[in-house]
Amino acid sequence: MSAGAMNCAEAVLAIGAWCDGELVGDAAAALGAHVAGCAACRAEQAALVALRDEIRAQAPRRVAPPALRARIEAEVARAFADAPAAAGPAAAPARAASAGAAAALPRLRTWWTRERRRWFAAGALAGASLAVVVGALTGVVARHWGGDDIAVAAVDSHIAATLGGHTITVASSDRHQIKPWLSARLDYAAPVVELADSPFVLAGARIDRLGGRPVATLVYRYRLHVIDVFVRPLADAGDAPAVTMVRGFTVARATGAGMEWRAVADVDASALAAFVERLASEAEAAQPAGR
Amino acid sequence: MTDRALFEAQVLPHLDAAYNLARWLTRDPHDAEDVVQEACVRALRYLASLREGGARAWFLTIVRHASYDWIEQHRDRDRDGGDGGVEVAADAESEPAQIAERRGESRALAQAIAALELPFREVIVLRELEELSYKEIASVAAIPIGTVMSRLARARALLRQSPVLHAIAPRRSGGER
Repeated sequence: MSAGAMNCAEAVLAIGAWCDGELVGDAAAALGAHVAGCAACRAEQAALVALRDEIRAQAPRRVAPPALRARIEAEVARAFADAPAAAGPAAAPARAASAGAAAALPRLRTWWTRERRRWFAAGALAGASLAVVVGALTGVVARHWGGDDIAVAAVDSHIAATLGGHTITVASSDRHQIKPWLSARLDYAAPVVELADSPFVLAGARIDRLGGRPVATLVYRYRLHVIDVFVRPLADAGDAPAVTMVRGFTVARATGAGMEWRAVADVDASALAAFVERLASEAEAAQPAGR
Repeated sequence: MTDRALFEAQVLPHLDAAYNLARWLTRDPHDAEDVVQEACVRALRYLASLREGGARAWFLTIVRHASYDWIEQHRDRDRDGGDGGVEVAADAESEPAQIAERRGESRALAQAIAALELPFREVIVLRELEELSYKEIASVAAIPIGTVMSRLARARALLRQSPVLHAIAPRRSGGER
């Protein structure tokens, strides 16, 4: 952004950022200069500060009820403590410690299953209408919660990776760097595809677990979206719908080069399906020469 | 560090933030409790993806997802319920003195925020109540920073149109736009 004069339209956004403590350096100086000479923007600035103060003074920040906190703490304690005891008679104590952490999840999950069932029943209607929309787009309808656990697990992995901002372990747009990195960490050779003339750009890769096994996750960027593509041997994968919606994320699937390709992103179904189809078919085409 | 110690040291301290976000997103105290419980289950499952220093945004991201799932699954019920009454009842029940004092105002502003559409409500709550940075909000809400800015601006404009806040209403015919 160029330094110097700022107009009122720019100032309005900048004032917001300034109120939020996000405006620094040249931009802050430019805003200061503009506001000094513009009564309207000065008033705007004062109004935003007043609004912020009003919100903080009047809109309550809720605190977790003590009962909720106690329930969660107790459940965590119980889940971690119960697990080793359930492992068997007189298990080795050293091993029990790590087993406890691992066993805690099923324990907590059981605890939650009942609740989830209630939720899913209530959500069936909403799920059905969502499926109609997706179906209209792609011709292939998958029910949201209908047992495609791998799609759910793929979305979980996608979310877990994107939310921490560590989607990529090996950053490269060069498949010749990514492929050996993956091969060194997996018991299969995952094809890595760069698409020429495509808005989907290879950005890197990481290793995830899917269906209980480590799998290759190729990471692409598409405009502002991050797309994870899980690549695993077709032998490990059952049949599944071409497109599934999970919690608002699209999961598109294709097969090629002996692999199952699953793309996960908050991208519309038709675009993602076309993308993953192209990946699989280019991998398939490259296979004889590439091996 | 064991998973349990990690969870207790990194995640549990943000339980209030989690509840606050879930509460504002679901607009119901009991639903917020359900959402936070579910978020804790998920947080344990994803614990391996937790990185140093980012626990709050990380956990809030999970809470947000759990809230959205809940909202998606309860859309019909929510429509029948109506919004305003929930917030009023909520104020009376959980926060005591300092809010009761100016309950009239507080209720009105809380309702104005509760009435915002989700994308605007969440950025306001994350920014003004949880005081997250733009970068953190972008990460929690899975949107670019530019979108964080434009949504905050829009949310604020909407709040300023609210009758309770007429004193700080948007300027009428400024030179901008």
